[in-house]
Amino acid sequence: MNSAPSPSLDVATPERVSLSLPVAGIGYRCLAYLVDLFILFVFWVVAYFTFTLLVSDVVGFFQGLSGLAQTLLVVGVFATQWVYWTAAEVLMGGQTPGKRLMGIRVVRVDGSPVGVLESAVRNLVRVVDSLPLVYAVGVLSVLLTRQHRRLGDLLAGTLLVREERIDLDKYTAPTVGAMALPTATHSERLTAEDVELILSFLTRAPELEPQARARLGTKLVERYGGLDEAGRATVLASAQSTEAFLRARVQAER
Amino acid sequence: MAAPLPAFVTRRRPDWDALKELLDRQRAGTLRLGELRTLDVLYRRAAADLAHAQTFYAGTDVHRFLNQLCGQAYATIYQPPRERLASTLAFFRQDFPRTLRANGAFVAASAGLFLLGILLGAVVVLLEPRGAELLVPEHLRDFIARKEMWTDGILTVSPPNAVASGIATNNLTVTIVTFASGILLGLGTVFVLINNGVHLGSVAALCVHEGMGAKLFDFIAAHGPVELSIIVIAGGAGLMVGQALVDPGELPRGQALALRGREAVKLVLGCAPFLALIAVVEGFVSPGDFFSSWVKATLGLALGGFFWLYLLRAGRDAPGPTPVG
Repeated sequence: MNSAPSPSLDVATPERVSLSLPVAGIGYRCLAYLVDLFILFVFWVVAYFTFTLLVSDVVGFFQGLSGLAQTLLVVGVFATQWVYWTAAEVLMGGQTPGKRLMGIRVVRVDGSPVGVLESAVRNLVRVVDSLPLVYAVGVLSVLLTRQHRRLGDLLAGTLLVREERIDLDKYTAPTVGAMALPTATHSERLTAEDVELILSFLTRAPELEPQARARLGTKLVERYGGLDEAGRATVLASAQSTEAFLRARVQAER
Repeated sequence: MAAPLPAFVTRRRPDWDALKELLDRQRAGTLRLGELRTLDVLYRRAAADLAHAQTFYAGTDVHRFLNQLCGQAYATIYQPPRERLASTLAFFRQDFPRTLRANGAFVAASAGLFLLGILLGAVVVLLEPRGAELLVPEHLRDFIARKEMWTDGILTVSPPNAVASGIATNNLTVTIVTFASGILLGLGTVFVLINNGVHLGSVAALCVHEGMGAKLFDFIAAHGPVELSIIVIAGGAGLMVGQALVDPGELPRGQALALRGREAVKLVLGCAPFLALIAVVEGFVSPGDFFSSWVKATLGLALGGFFWLYLLRAGRDAPGPTPVG
């Protein structure tokens, strides 16, 4: 299933089991960044419009009032530029809102969560990564390093790992429909790879083109079914019966 | 012989779901003390399952799932100590000044580069006044030609606290850039330091040349010592990073960098509140002639003196681990 070897972070735990967490590449990073940027943008748009709704004469308001307002404005701009990232990463366990949406997380190179210092380093060096424009330095660094780290990550000793949403239900889903299907006559045991192959077909089957669905189903039945001619004809009569048979075939393995 | 995959999942899944739920509760902060033992047991079982999956079901979704589950549990169980208020205090009482003293050589080198820049700028302008056209920005030259300080106007445009916050953020940005550009083999920091030095030196020399030295001194005296110290310290932090890249010593470059980065950022974070304080001085005291030059100079020297006294003395006697240098 893992056709392209993707980089991973290998961690040796004290329990003597080695974890290997998938590293987030440039796509995830960019998307998470754009989401965060969008959040900050929306924040300022909302702040601006609320402000202009409350105050009719904006320019006069700024000139007239506003030691406090101007201070708040300057501090606000500063906070969105520098503090937002570190505060979010420290408070949300290594995730900014954008990273949480994309399912990626900042961790140290030993797999442990980031602290204030690491997060501060990687986000202060953001200013160098964004040089000379559109994060050219950071993008180069992400593309060229093995674990896709930008300069800030290199200096902080951090990287981004992916958190996938993995559905285990497919392993335990009950056999649907009490159709009288022929059972395998001379079946051999399925290996873990075979089970995985059949299950991933069953998960995707509803979204496949009808022709492709039938073709793949037939192939799997012929490969793993162990049926005689008559049984195969019954099973292959419809997509439902094909898939119900395959599911039953996997379930029989327990 | 391993059990078939579906049977393995069906048998072990309740434990995994329970572990996942406990981890969610831990993140939400509703975990009870008694459940910690369960969490520990479940984590160990999941780790054993992961080892099993690595051997018999490598590359399947179950393997990936267990990897991720154990990763999350590992991160939860082996958390670094939380930074709290007490540790913030300890940071300013001991950690920050100690880190600075341990890396004094870098700060000294940074000060040297900065002074070099000032001398360069000043000598060029004093020997060849037309050099100012190259080194001093045009809007400043216009002000100086009219024998005015460009800082006279700022308080008539906006109130002092707005000026102060503007200055604080501006200075923080300069500090951050000085530190962060150290990742470019230290060359970025060297450039920023010399560039700022040349800028300051040439402006000062031009002011003196045009007979406005006293006015410039009047503006700079109160906040100058601390502000320039902080730029120099940030430069030291940047040079630390650069040195780790150029000469990582016995460690691999990546490790040396990460180790040095943690130390160096302490200098920048430690400077931040002082930078905010000094911006208040620069916004409220420095502009205008409400305070006389001598009051400003005394204040500036006192602040600078206290700052360095703090940096050189604080945390010297107190027990505690010495920072890794």
